[in-house]
Amino acid sequence: MQAGTLTQRAGRSFGERPARARVPDVVMRWGLTALAAAVLALLAYFFARLIGESQTALSRFGALGFVFDNDWDVSSSHYGALPLVVGTLVTSAIALVIGVPVAVATALYITELCPRRARGPLTILVELLAAVPSVVYGLWGFFVLIPKLRPVQQWLADTFSFLPFVGGHVAGPSYFIAGLILAIMIVPIVSAITREVMATVPSDHKEAALALGATRWEMIRTAILPYSRAGISGAAMLGLGRAVGETIAVTIVIGNAPRIGQQVFDQGYSLAAVIANEFGEAASIPLHRSALIAAGLVLFVLTLIVNGFARYFVVRGQQGPKAAPAPGMAG
Amino acid sequence: MRSRQLLALGAAGVLAVGAAACGSSDKNSSSSSSSTAGGGAAKTGGSISGAGATFPQPVYDEWANRFKDKTGTTVNYNGIGSGGGIAQFTAGTVDFGATDAFMKPEEIAAAKQKHGEPVHIPTVFGAITVAYNVQGLDKGLKLDGKTVADLFLGKVKKWDDPAIKSLNPGMKLPSTPVTVVHRSDESGTTKLFTSFLKDTSPEWSSKVGSDKTVKWPTGTGAAKNAGVAGGVKQSDGAVGYVEQAYALQNNFTTADVKNKAGQFISPSLESTTAAGEGISVPADLRFSAINSPNPKAYPIASATFLLVYQDMCKAGLAQDKAQGVVNWVNYAVGDGQQVAPALQYASLPPGLDQKAKAKVDGLVCNGAPLKATG
Amino acid sequence: MSALAPVSHRRRRVDRAARGLLAAATGLAVLPLVFVVFYLLQKGVGAWSVGFFTTDPSGKFFGDAGGVRSAIFGTLEMVTLATVIAVPAGIGVALYLVEYGKAGRFAAAVRYFIDVMTGVPSIVFGLFVYIVLVIANTGGASFAGWKGSLALALLMLPIVTRAAEVVLALVPDSLREAALALGAPRWRVMLRIVLPTARPGLVTGALLAIARAAGETAPLLFTAFYIKRATGDLNRPMNSLPAQIFTDVGQAQDRLQARAWGAALTLVLMILILTTLARVVSRRSRLA
Repeated sequence: MQAGTLTQRAGRSFGERPARARVPDVVMRWGLTALAAAVLALLAYFFARLIGESQTALSRFGALGFVFDNDWDVSSSHYGALPLVVGTLVTSAIALVIGVPVAVATALYITELCPRRARGPLTILVELLAAVPSVVYGLWGFFVLIPKLRPVQQWLADTFSFLPFVGGHVAGPSYFIAGLILAIMIVPIVSAITREVMATVPSDHKEAALALGATRWEMIRTAILPYSRAGISGAAMLGLGRAVGETIAVTIVIGNAPRIGQQVFDQGYSLAAVIANEFGEAASIPLHRSALIAAGLVLFVLTLIVNGFARYFVVRGQQGPKAAPAPGMAG
Repeated sequence: MRSRQLLALGAAGVLAVGAAACGSSDKNSSSSSSSTAGGGAAKTGGSISGAGATFPQPVYDEWANRFKDKTGTTVNYNGIGSGGGIAQFTAGTVDFGATDAFMKPEEIAAAKQKHGEPVHIPTVFGAITVAYNVQGLDKGLKLDGKTVADLFLGKVKKWDDPAIKSLNPGMKLPSTPVTVVHRSDESGTTKLFTSFLKDTSPEWSSKVGSDKTVKWPTGTGAAKNAGVAGGVKQSDGAVGYVEQAYALQNNFTTADVKNKAGQFISPSLESTTAAGEGISVPADLRFSAINSPNPKAYPIASATFLLVYQDMCKAGLAQDKAQGVVNWVNYAVGDGQQVAPALQYASLPPGLDQKAKAKVDGLVCNGAPLKATG
Repeated sequence: MSALAPVSHRRRRVDRAARGLLAAATGLAVLPLVFVVFYLLQKGVGAWSVGFFTTDPSGKFFGDAGGVRSAIFGTLEMVTLATVIAVPAGIGVALYLVEYGKAGRFAAAVRYFIDVMTGVPSIVFGLFVYIVLVIANTGGASFAGWKGSLALALLMLPIVTRAAEVVLALVPDSLREAALALGAPRWRVMLRIVLPTARPGLVTGALLAIARAAGETAPLLFTAFYIKRATGDLNRPMNSLPAQIFTDVGQAQDRLQARAWGAALTLVLMILILTTLARVVSRRSRLA
């Protein structure tokens, strides 16, 4: 702190200074306000343009028709985005089913169970998962994961073929691989938020359970998990939002088939992937370009909805449940 | 932190000024009037840009090298698929386009409206191989159009299917499942391949049809010839369609396909050249040699085209760019024809090469004839 | 009361099994990282050579395939420009929120929309810039490096703002009040007291945003596009490491695939350096 410069003015209160000296303050305030307002205006403008450019396609096929029509046919200029929406949702669902339990387990292990000295390094390792860029995950997934996991996938397909959507021949790229890579990518964010949520569990809840003779796992099960439920849901939804919007890794490993696959090991497509793949040819064809922008709009709205839910749950999770259940005991 | 913010503002200012200074501000958005490309002992120098088919990319790359040695002009060719090539050609973001599938009437109309009449200049003939990567199958399988269609329809699911067996008696076939790899982008190679399937398989014709991109009933999509080659290389049991140069480079086994005369022909320079012989072409040179009646012809071979505007300067190209493009296409139908066979692309048959040369000679700039100088 | 009775064998087994499962799950979470790093090193180092870093991709089918110099230069240029745009803007917005926006609906709206921005898929930012700038051929060219930078800056803005807001809010009010009591005007307090105190945290936030932007492909796909040569011209299409990797992934030739691994290793190393730097800086912060 430059005491010299400031004490030059010492001895005169703020109100006594000439109005001229207040100008920088006003400029600063309105400058920053204008900046913040500009950001808002920019977002609103972009959203409006996104909607505007999609109109050609949306008016041609109808907004609902565009989203629910199962026919993305470039050659006949018919654009129904259902295969893309299904692909996006299926891969994200697989990512949640695999990634959220792993992330929550990791958060639990790091906060409650692992040796104190390992806590820092483990946290860093999990966070490093987020430092790997999407295209590198795609590269690794395509050249390493797909060939190495083919026998495993085929075994899963054969063994669990009694389940719906499981079975068939495993070619390589598939919804499953895309979902698996997405799961790896959402683990860091879900884990980080879950850890934050778990940190808000009052320690007297935990200590009470332990004092009553609960084992470590029982303490987790009765004191931490119920308390964190809302927060974990929020974390899961944030992971879902991330998975839905992920483009490049999915494009590389999903198989680029504009159909709704029958099995989880079939090839598919996603909203983001189709935009990445097709816009180059759509550049001079207004309807195609508009259809791709409309797909982008659908994607944007989808992430808005998911993230809205996520925010609601995370906030609720951090406020704590209204009535914390008393730790019960089994056996 | 005034100093920090000032520094940031200053850097932004410098960068903005730099970008504005370096950037071209002409309305014609074709690239680099200011690039220091060729250099060397150049006659013409400069650079031109083109984009499109990956089918002829190997030979265009080789031509570009030799063209640069000869004239000093750099040809920046971006292989993005025929669909992308036509799109960029129509949008005017490149100096020339390239496609295996000649432009449809509506595409010509769109280009005409924006820049003027497009001209198709055939350059070379190439073969589209049915390439597969199956452990246990080292020799070329004999396949007919209907069986190939069934493979890509997903009806033939294993490599020891009776349909394949009946065409290849005495050959030991593994029971590996079939994995289909096709294009995910708009491709002239797809158009040519599917037009063959359409001609030979009624089921394909009614269910899928032929275009630069179709609704593939099964399989994985990959971008460009190189992507399909990569996809085939990756899976045991995979089958895809790639231009011959890509199959040769990756040591794929390719099928001997039954042509119109009933012969099983393997893709080669001879059979590709035979496909080009004796075909009749319309005045605008928009033709396809698929399923040629010539008994020695490989049935899935056809020509690929360079796209230029009849009046390039009126279309928006600067004078020096237009000159560069004329020199380039002149090279393609002239000296380049000697080079193509070495890469297993067939040069234009006599008769057709005269017609192509006539098209090149007919190019103008603002009405005045533009002759090749390099 | 059974509260102090010994724990039954069954419960002990369940406890052990559960703990083992949690440990295993953690190992499973970390395993992909190990594999990715392993393959990056194994396949990427082999692709590194002097030519790899000093030549541009040639695009030639036969012969020398070239290196990734234009990609490295492009990433450095575009990310630098994006940083110059996004960091001051992000800090500015955060400053507004902390100094003037503690209450009030406008500030709440700004905060909410910044939050929304963090969830927007990166490809949508690319679409924004594509619609507004590329289609209109703003600046003379359709695809341009600076437009790619703009898309990256949009991506970085919420990250920087969020991190900056947290750190700026941590600056104790007592510091501000002391300066104000000594007669310093508000703007001086912000520039000379608040920002310097928060500097390590601001630097951390900026570095993390830069690391994120350096790895993004989707926003660049149809803004900066892809070319092979290093032109240094931000008003023309520009190569970048992610775009180069994406292009090479779809190739069949072994040496092109190897080049993709080499470029991936280079990119990951860059990002690792940035994130490590961020961590070191934040550790030395007085506010953390």
